[in-house]
Amino acid sequence: MSIARAFCRYLVDAVVVTALLAAPSAWCATEPAASDPAVSVSAPGAAAATDAVAPAAASAPSADAAAPASDASTRALDEQIQDLKQQVVDLNKDLFVLEEELLFPANTQVAVFVSMDVGEFFGLDSVTLKIDKHEVSNYLYTPREVAALAKGGVQRIYVGNLRAGQHELVALFGGKGPNERDYRRGASIKFEKGIGAKYLELKISDRARKAQPEFEIRDWE
Amino acid sequence: MEGGGWHCCSIIFKELLLIRWIGPLILLLTLLAAPQSAVRADAQPGNAAPDFALPAASGGNVRLSEYRGEVVLLAFWSSRCALCVTQLTALDELQTTYRSAGLVTLAVSVDDDLPRATRFAKSHPARFPLLLDRRKGVSRAYGIERLPTTVLIDRRGRVRSVEPDFRGIDNSYVAQLRALLDDPL
Repeated sequence: MSIARAFCRYLVDAVVVTALLAAPSAWCATEPAASDPAVSVSAPGAAAATDAVAPAAASAPSADAAAPASDASTRALDEQIQDLKQQVVDLNKDLFVLEEELLFPANTQVAVFVSMDVGEFFGLDSVTLKIDKHEVSNYLYTPREVAALAKGGVQRIYVGNLRAGQHELVALFGGKGPNERDYRRGASIKFEKGIGAKYLELKISDRARKAQPEFEIRDWE
Repeated sequence: MEGGGWHCCSIIFKELLLIRWIGPLILLLTLLAAPQSAVRADAQPGNAAPDFALPAASGGNVRLSEYRGEVVLLAFWSSRCALCVTQLTALDELQTTYRSAGLVTLAVSVDDDLPRATRFAKSHPARFPLLLDRRKGVSRAYGIERLPTTVLIDRRGRVRSVEPDFRGIDNSYVAQLRALLDDPL
């Protein structure tokens, strides 16, 4: 799987670099038109004295006309750059989706999410996941991440592949419980993996009646 | 014919001797001549620094990616390494000097004895977190083979230098650090 992931990333980088390298050719495609006032000022010096007066006289208004023309060309160039950036972003997004589809196809995909409600009675520190007695994830939470969860954020802690059939998920929650004591609790669920992606949610909530945190694993719909 | 047969056998014997002894000797010499500090490809200068999260001896967890935008000095140490103690003192001074410029120092302990590492951390207070790499995952990710080793990570999260067998902070190291600090994100 690491080889497939590395290949997908290489593919993403190659496409992005190719797109960026192809950009200059589009920028340099246009040449100034013959009727461009800015060009007439730099015409070859084959003029007589009377002709020298005319370009000099024309240089004043042409200089004023050159400024809006350069602004227009700058705006056009800027728009091209923004379009190119947007194309690269869209392409990156498509490639990311393709990478997910390749590495975690829907028929075998299983994802586990973590959410937290309030968190007054429990200070989350770590979550360890075991699927069929194999440890698949051990995540440490920083204060910023805990704050994000407390604000309603949902974290995808694990995504992997499982064959169809019966499986068991065990989640171990570590942190600080009531009275700032070390707290370690577990929760488990037996689930059936069928055709299609399987999503499970680890929900941490406060049980105010007992002044204790509650840990629950359920299907995430 | 027998003489020719023996001659062939002696030639074959000599060739086998060459393969059996000379070949491995050449291989051994090649391995010895290889660079002593083989840092993993992931942690080579120019590559993105492997992200990690470790518990701090003072409590809480620290994640490297949360310091994106700052210059991170990653120092690997052990309480059994005398040179590491000197290094931590020097890094403390460095952190004090350049903290306002955006320098973040993270010291990762590779001790197997965590209580010992924790006691060491408490007895040697520093102005930066002392992290405990109990599972050695971070040490492996950065290919640490010598102590003390320091890794400089720029504001974009890329490894810029790896100093195995760190011997002290000299002018060139400070110049390198200041160049990274002067580089805006």
